[in-house]
Amino acid sequence: MRSTLLKLGGPVIAAAVFFAWWQNRSIDPPAWTDAEINVLRSLSLASLPALPPDPSNAVADDPRAAAFGEQLFFDPRLSANGGISCATCHQPVRQFTDGLPKGQAIGTSKRNTPGIVGSAYSPWFYWDGRRDSQWAQALSPLEDPDEHGSSRGQVVAVIAGDDAYKASYQALFGELGDLSGKDPVALNVAFANVGKAIAAFERTLLPAASRFDDYVDAVADGDLQQQETPFSDDEAWGLRLFIGAANCTQCHNGPLLTNNEFHNTGVLSSPGDLPDKGRVTGVQEALADPFNCLGEYSDDPLRQCAELRFVRTGSELVGAVRTPSLRNVALTSPYMHKGQLATLADVLQHYNEAPDAMIGHNEAKPLGLGARELQKLEAFLNTLTASVAADQSESM
Amino acid sequence: MAIRLFIGFVLSAFLSDAAVAHGGVVQEEDLCVIKVNYLRAHFKIYQPRVSGHEQFCEDLPAASESVFVMEYQHDALKSMPIDFRIIRDVTGKGRFARMEDIEQIDDLDGVTVFYQDAAVEPDVFTVMHEFAEEGEFIGIVSAIQPDTRKVYAAVFPFEVGFTGIGYWPFFIVVLVLLQLQYLLMSGRLRRWMKGGWSGVAGSFLLCALLVAPGTAVFAEDGELRVSYSTPAGPPEINRIHSWILHLQSADGVPIENASIEVTGGMPKHDHGFPTRPRVTEELGNGVYRLDGMRFHMRGYWEITVTVVTEEGSSVVVIPLQL
Repeated sequence: MRSTLLKLGGPVIAAAVFFAWWQNRSIDPPAWTDAEINVLRSLSLASLPALPPDPSNAVADDPRAAAFGEQLFFDPRLSANGGISCATCHQPVRQFTDGLPKGQAIGTSKRNTPGIVGSAYSPWFYWDGRRDSQWAQALSPLEDPDEHGSSRGQVVAVIAGDDAYKASYQALFGELGDLSGKDPVALNVAFANVGKAIAAFERTLLPAASRFDDYVDAVADGDLQQQETPFSDDEAWGLRLFIGAANCTQCHNGPLLTNNEFHNTGVLSSPGDLPDKGRVTGVQEALADPFNCLGEYSDDPLRQCAELRFVRTGSELVGAVRTPSLRNVALTSPYMHKGQLATLADVLQHYNEAPDAMIGHNEAKPLGLGARELQKLEAFLNTLTASVAADQSESM
Repeated sequence: MAIRLFIGFVLSAFLSDAAVAHGGVVQEEDLCVIKVNYLRAHFKIYQPRVSGHEQFCEDLPAASESVFVMEYQHDALKSMPIDFRIIRDVTGKGRFARMEDIEQIDDLDGVTVFYQDAAVEPDVFTVMHEFAEEGEFIGIVSAIQPDTRKVYAAVFPFEVGFTGIGYWPFFIVVLVLLQLQYLLMSGRLRRWMKGGWSGVAGSFLLCALLVAPGTAVFAEDGELRVSYSTPAGPPEINRIHSWILHLQSADGVPIENASIEVTGGMPKHDHGFPTRPRVTEELGNGVYRLDGMRFHMRGYWEITVTVVTEEGSSVVVIPLQL
């Protein structure tokens, strides 16, 4: 009896050891094809075009406005309790996010705090795209009772009451005008200008190169030895999945790894909240916003506003939210529009299963990847973190 | 024969249960549907905290946060104020409770555990209620016809914290086995299999027929030729830009005063454009300016140009590999 067990046990153990080795063996990734190299190049920071102009903001590229906007960004006096600034939730050390499921300011925000770096490339702001410019976005939290909880009157009074601010303001925009509230347009103009200065600062926040970008440079140069340095085999396999079987680049494309478009990916609702209707209501809010590109506070004399004029509406946008950039994604947990998923592994598991959406339709299809493949994808996502040296040179 | 009779009996028992007891909510194949009079909506309930993405049609496993979703199948519901009420079941009728029974309740508010005022929800209807305790409840959905003020209602009794699925799976397994055995013995299974395969072959043939005309000449439908240029350089993803369309008849005559509609998308991904582009200017000589074009993914796109003139209409599909 015992000898039979031994006879059987030997081969079984050998098979188990072989299987374990087979599962975890390291296979050199094959060389990239020309088509793949093209895709990789399209994702690299080297392909990032010049900042698109914002004709609705006349001071968008004025360094004086950026300097003024930077002061405003960090100034808690713009809040109801004097304790909240933009940087309360958009913390520079965390890639301008806060590490929380939902932003915590005067109250709790409705959604997860998105990063700001590279956002000047996006035609839409917020998870649901309810604003169409960086400056219109910057105004909104100031008056949100759960965020700054302030008012346009109070915000403009802070500018008028601070000599340095007043001087900066007047140099850029001229006199402050009648701020008593008797002339609501004058008050709105001054309020809009505050947003335009903050936006000028935010426009300067651009992503720095990561190990991924170094790797693509080496691949593009055909330098095999150089390719070994920045990337492990797992990371290279993960990248292969990222641009291939995992379908990530359907939405996370271009050098910022986002198409800034709206997609329903069937994420479960956040505790205590109804499922988020997302873009279907966000787009209506953007169209109705008095501070939008077509409104009277826009500086674009031609009112080009192509994104707003040719915007898509309708129920196919139910539950759709904006694709976030994946640059520095390892540093911006938790994930999804309400911070529902704590880790990158959770996010990958979610996309691997692609469950039916609670409202609307999940655009993603189940991937059916194995655990090892998901690990490799995660390893790749970790290479999108900007290197420390690059980060310091970009630091603000 | 006896087996078939037995199956017939059990099935009709199930069916009659479904037809009578479910009030305003019925399971139709794999879809749960709420009928508010003649108006229908896809109905589903989630308990995301305890059951994740699992959908329920009426009975709920736990006293927990519950999200009720109605996705309209009739557009009329998009513009109708809808209210939503959940009451404790005090009718004594259980699964057979109907609107008449609800109307006989003296103090409706007293037994109401959740009420949401009538509101127009143009896209999708959602409400949330956290049940404090298990028990039997009745949901009442009312939609108000804005013109006639007529109220349409649906009533659906349901249980929270139901004891489980009981012996149903066992019965179903027995039924399936009995049916299989019957089919094997009668030789029908083999005939079905044969029929099935010829069906599959048929659908392949149909696909082939559908695909074949797709090899039409690029951007041309016999009467109309469409070419385009992109003044800001070749189309790139994620950048809004303009196109210049050139419209000609088959013999090269520019087509003027046309009304042009442009739609499109990625056929493989089953989605349309991220924007809603339109022709904004006729530049003369059959040349038109198309604004608001943006592509948000690399891959294969199709741009469908519908051209209507006094002579008639033509549709041309422009393929584009990005």
